[in-house]
Amino acid sequence: MHEMGIAQNILDIALSAAGKEGASKITRINLVAGELRGVVPLQLTFCFGLMAKDTIASGAYLNIEEVPVSGHCNDCSADFSIKEYEYVCLKCGSTKIQVTGGTELSIKDIEIE
Amino acid sequence: MKINVMQDVLQANDRIDGENRQLFKKNHNLVLNLMSSPGAGKTSLLEKTAEILAGKLRLGVIVGDIETTRDADRISRFNIPAIQLTTGTACHLDANMVASALPHLELDKIDILVVENVGNLVCPAEFIVGEDYKVMILSVTEGDEKPLKYPLMFRESSLMLINKIDLLQYTNFILEEARANARKINPAIDIIEISCTNGAGLDEWISWLTARHRKKSGGAGHA
Repeated sequence: MHEMGIAQNILDIALSAAGKEGASKITRINLVAGELRGVVPLQLTFCFGLMAKDTIASGAYLNIEEVPVSGHCNDCSADFSIKEYEYVCLKCGSTKIQVTGGTELSIKDIEIE
Repeated sequence: MKINVMQDVLQANDRIDGENRQLFKKNHNLVLNLMSSPGAGKTSLLEKTAEILAGKLRLGVIVGDIETTRDADRISRFNIPAIQLTTGTACHLDANMVASALPHLELDKIDILVVENVGNLVCPAEFIVGEDYKVMILSVTEGDEKPLKYPLMFRESSLMLINKIDLLQYTNFILEEARANARKINPAIDIIEISCTNGAGLDEWISWLTARHRKKSGGAGHA
């Protein structure tokens, strides 16, 4: 249940951003979540809903854009997506892989009224 | 109206992680974030480590537990400072919880600080707390397929200790499978097989630990 802590952080950031704009309501939050972060969307939405109650984010739609894991090969410079956590270069077989996507967890933007 | 935010959700955690890191650097503490599922042997490993390092390197422990203080009690019998954080419902320690324990420790009198995380293979891997290395324990009674089920933890760890190898013959755990599965997720991971019951492999674990302590303290310190 790390979703609880994550939901709290999302709410804090959204409330603070909306507060700066003098918003009276947050209607939507666009979140980017990398596959490696292991966020369970259903749980996160549920936790967020609970926490947002009695705030201006109450009823806001939490949109979660999931980002697959991608890698860059340090040997042959190929870029590819990593499936099933196989950290092996699809082109040359090297294991010297740098993860280039899939670890992000950030709020892109919010919609307010 | 749409407003751009572009903020990392865990930035509050990462900021406190940075503050913890500075404190540890100042005090030349090697810091490990020790993770595993419940019952894999985190506290047993710390007991053994305290026993072996007694008089050589000074250990300190921060223990996260959902309810009881039993683990801290077990560790403080070895005369090492142990701070218990009861996390309530939280399934992991975060940087802020670790920061709250630091004023209760004399960091300048500690060589190696181990943060014993809450028993859980998922959430602890998400939160950095100021550690130099993540170390995880997989015990043979859990199964050799665990790296594939909990990839983030295996991906993030620098060292995997395979514990309870004295029980290997009673399980269907295949060491080679466990190694291959872990290396598939994290080709650079170090792997040491140990038994906290009969002491197998503990010398190799202690060498791993002391080598990293030497590196962190730049040759200074008490080792």
